[in-house]
Amino acid sequence: MRKELFTAKNVIVQGITGSHGAFHTATMRASGTHIVAGTSPNKAGQVIDGVPVYATIHAIQQDHQVDISVIFVPAPFAKDAMIEAIEAKVPLIICITEGVPVHDMLEVKKQAEQSNVTIIGPNCPGVLVPGINKLGIIPASMGTPGRVGIVSRSGTLTYEAAAGLTARGIGQRYIIGIGGDRIQGTNFIDCLRLFEEDDEVSSIVLIGEIGGSSEQHAADYIKSHVSKPVYAYIAGHSAPIGIQLGHAGAILGGEGETAASKTEALQQAGVTTSISIVTLIESVK
Amino acid sequence: MRLLEHEAKALLRANMIPIPEGVIITKHDTRSSIHLPTVLKSQVPVGGRGKLGGVVVVKSKEELESAIDTLFSLDIKNYTPNVLLAEEKISILREHYVSLLIDRDSASIRLIAYKDGGVEVENNISSHDFLNIAIDESTLDSDAKQLASYLEYDIKLVRPLLVHLYATFTRNDATLLEINPLIYTTEGTLICGDCKMELDDAARFRHPEWNFEDKPSDTNFVSLDPDGSIATIANGAGLAMATVDAVAARKMKPANFLDIGGGANTASILIAFKRIMEFKRIDAIVINIFAGITRCDEVARAIIEAKKQIDSLPPLFIRLAGTNFEEAVALLAAENITTMASLDECLAAAKEVTHA
Repeated sequence: MRKELFTAKNVIVQGITGSHGAFHTATMRASGTHIVAGTSPNKAGQVIDGVPVYATIHAIQQDHQVDISVIFVPAPFAKDAMIEAIEAKVPLIICITEGVPVHDMLEVKKQAEQSNVTIIGPNCPGVLVPGINKLGIIPASMGTPGRVGIVSRSGTLTYEAAAGLTARGIGQRYIIGIGGDRIQGTNFIDCLRLFEEDDEVSSIVLIGEIGGSSEQHAADYIKSHVSKPVYAYIAGHSAPIGIQLGHAGAILGGEGETAASKTEALQQAGVTTSISIVTLIESVK
Repeated sequence: MRLLEHEAKALLRANMIPIPEGVIITKHDTRSSIHLPTVLKSQVPVGGRGKLGGVVVVKSKEELESAIDTLFSLDIKNYTPNVLLAEEKISILREHYVSLLIDRDSASIRLIAYKDGGVEVENNISSHDFLNIAIDESTLDSDAKQLASYLEYDIKLVRPLLVHLYATFTRNDATLLEINPLIYTTEGTLICGDCKMELDDAARFRHPEWNFEDKPSDTNFVSLDPDGSIATIANGAGLAMATVDAVAARKMKPANFLDIGGGANTASILIAFKRIMEFKRIDAIVINIFAGITRCDEVARAIIEAKKQIDSLPPLFIRLAGTNFEEAVALLAAENITTMASLDECLAAAKEVTHA
């Protein structure tokens, strides 16, 4: 992921005529995001809130260059929407839609990797580059321009961290919610690389959760590749261990999935860790 | 969504995968169709039932009735079965472990196999001698070869099984399909002794045929400590976990985890309050809402209603932010209920009223 992806100008909304799509098109435009068009299969030719509606991305591309697509289409159609954007070679695709089947994401992820485009999400609040671009549903008021890069799996904790830092007068360069689904377009490491390479970022906040091993991989990456200070919190220290259905989790090393072991891995990578979101916000310098 | 063994096995059978002959027993069935000897298996949506007495071999007619009664009343990790499965007894030569699952890290379907299957499988596996490979439609032939050579069987025996398992997995939007044990019988065939299957709830829209027993799901409300002093209500799994963590970080005892979810309404929040009132030692309830799709005013209405309906409600410490925040604060203020600016303020105030 290059930083230019997020500061690019021409944004479209797939599913612009739905209630979420229409509502958030308005909030994104109110925050200065340059939305050139939207798609809706049966409503081509309409104008929503001053934005022209097309049937397909291909049709939009006859009139505009498309840099970024933000997707709000309902879950049953999200796979087709993402694949349409991939085939149209839209460089940055952000899928807000919740409830995309995991088998659909396997297919999307495979196609995205072959096509060299970036997908963020699904089931995520998107990206806020305060003062520059609002790409999704993170309220612009939560952020303020500055030099922290925030990446989080949890939507609500993305807001919490951004709002908490803003209240302390610490601004952010990026606020990225990567979503909590099993298969994610973009992971922690992609975001850490972006933050490390962007000179506008001077410190990093990482918010993880119990389950999976992406925080362990993030810790390995930080150890070898990240020079900037990282502050982290893993949600779920007090969570009960879920009732395991099969043996597969245990065979594949489910013990590393607790908040404590993830926190330890991050500490060993030199990360400043917190045991609550409150202390995380206080710890950032 | 977890399937019961008999539900998962019906999907296996529909995909031409060999399973033992069996009949389903409900509480009021006549038992005449059961052939003896039989293996009676409690149909509960949790693993480890064998060790807890949930699987019984019955040899005689005299034993059958009492074995059925015992299994119907046997509690297994807080579940009692609605049905039992009575299966033919299989003559076992070898037992293996085989599963398909979705792997987050590699964003692929993986095939896991281990030579020695059975109930202790995860304890017996020494680190690297199990098979763990990515599996895909386009590589099924070579995947089957690897599995056959790992389990030391003829490819002709293994390939159809794997092809059908893969089809069962993908057609049904499964996230886990675990065969343990996969039995090699004295007749030289492979048959699925037990099956655990998890399907992706998100894919329900394209599976009108899904009609499985409802299992109680406690993902939204989890009891953490019956003696806990601080109850929590939050929205979003991440924020709910973070709220519990913050209580513990302040050296107080969280009683529960509750994610009221995105579509919370007054009725569902009221139910949450009532469940909290079942705890005996609650000194304070901390409510932490960062509303996106959830609306703060809806939460405020539920809080006001709870105050009216529930006697001796412990003190509430409320933090609301996000959608319709101003409206919510006004509603609460009219009832003399105050809100706080941050979770931290709520916790500091809750600490003041905590006895232990």
